[in-house]
Amino acid sequence: MKPFFFISAVISACVSVCIVLFMIILGLPLFREGLFFSMLTSPWNPSNGVFGLYPMIIGTLGISSLALVFGFPLSLGTAALISGLAPKPLAAVLRKTVQAMTGIPTVVYGFIGVFLLVPLIRNLAGEGSGMCILSSALLLSVLISPTMILTFSDTFDQVPVKTRMAATALGATPVQTFLWVVLPASKKGLVTGLILGMGRAMGDTLIALMISGNAIAVPDSLFSPARTLTAHIALVIASDFDSPEFKTLFACGLVLYGFTALSTLAVRAIDTVFRSES
Amino acid sequence: MSRMEKIRIDDLSFAYGKRTILNRVEARFMENTITAITGPSGQGKSSFLMVLNRLWETIPGAHVTGRVNIRFDGEFRDIHHRSMPLTRLRRTVGMVFQTPNPLPMSVAGNVAFPLKLAGTGKRKNTEERVEKALSRVHLWDEVKDRLKDDARKLSGGQQQRLCMARALVFEPEILLLDEPASSLDAKAAAGIEDLMLELKNTCTLIVVSHSMDQVRRTADRVLTLESGELHGCESS
Repeated sequence: MKPFFFISAVISACVSVCIVLFMIILGLPLFREGLFFSMLTSPWNPSNGVFGLYPMIIGTLGISSLALVFGFPLSLGTAALISGLAPKPLAAVLRKTVQAMTGIPTVVYGFIGVFLLVPLIRNLAGEGSGMCILSSALLLSVLISPTMILTFSDTFDQVPVKTRMAATALGATPVQTFLWVVLPASKKGLVTGLILGMGRAMGDTLIALMISGNAIAVPDSLFSPARTLTAHIALVIASDFDSPEFKTLFACGLVLYGFTALSTLAVRAIDTVFRSES
Repeated sequence: MSRMEKIRIDDLSFAYGKRTILNRVEARFMENTITAITGPSGQGKSSFLMVLNRLWETIPGAHVTGRVNIRFDGEFRDIHHRSMPLTRLRRTVGMVFQTPNPLPMSVAGNVAFPLKLAGTGKRKNTEERVEKALSRVHLWDEVKDRLKDDARKLSGGQQQRLCMARALVFEPEILLLDEPASSLDAKAAAGIEDLMLELKNTCTLIVVSHSMDQVRRTADRVLTLESGELHGCESS
């Protein structure tokens, strides 16, 4: 069995390296012409020959960060209910529901967003189409929550029963035990869940494409439309292969890969810090 | 010296699912005494202790019938009655487990935890009570420079004494000890025994123990739990 796992690991690593190499090789003209780094800070203005990704980078970070702001408390609360605060039957139903949510296609969330959430936000804003950062972030928060909930509840479940019981024996209520014992003991898992959620939010394409409005401008409010890097890839990929627009795809890919790599490195760094503490 | 009854147990039965652990147990415990509970493993000695502070309620499938009355402020009260506040019960009936179970926080944080729960946490007052509790278990001198360190970094013996200090910070009237010295070396175990004898002046102690030497050295009375029944209620 060991050789099988070894071969699987080598193949996974090779695929990952190949993807990076592929993007770097295809994006070489951007580096040669010195365009790559200026793209990161320039606006998207094709009529003036400027193909910057700055609005998309801000859109991606804005929507995914806001999705985390909405999704984190939702996930934390649900995971707390699953891992001890809710009665056993309710906790079992919640866990099954969350597990089922991981299998729902993203496009279904998108449809629900278009027909239910967007009109609601449009009425709330009193202007615009309702396809904006807020709609996108709210729906993304629901999409990324199962990832965070399952990570959090697995972490909470690892807190030893004897530790929980010690707190209970001292007169702690279940909520006090959760807040003052389980949560502090789960710091590493919480951060890991957050980073996984962030990665999932940044990598999602369909939600952003369907309900964030796709405007190529730096958003100035929650009700402003925005375009994410993934949505930009999906929209521009149909353009001519030799066009400057198409070349930006490789830059988008590299930036997204960079974000993912940073997330992974952050998880590793946090893991190292918590290992040295314990 | 005439001692008053502290705990009255009548017709107490305890079961996990269909397995009966305690079968219609009757017992009385006098204040300021040490009662040792012995018996073969797996007969429900730890479960018996967990009934006395209602910790059994955290065990899925557990079920209790009968009455456990504890004297609070001169008046016996049924601990399972709905008017009995659980937090008050658990502050009055402290418990120390077989294996040390420090909470994932600092040494001082562990001892101050019950105060934090009760919301009686004025900083100076807390510091004084932490020092007093750690001194009572003869741990203060060893940890006074490491109060902010993670409690899980202490040695096994220190952790167990820390858990005792944590249980003592509210000055409980009853202290339940579940083989408190079983995971300790001889020196640390002797320290725990001395402490038990000292605590007898202010507490009623019920101690589960497999060590007959320890029982002889410390207990006023020995009860044996076997086949769900408690035997040997005579005073020694």
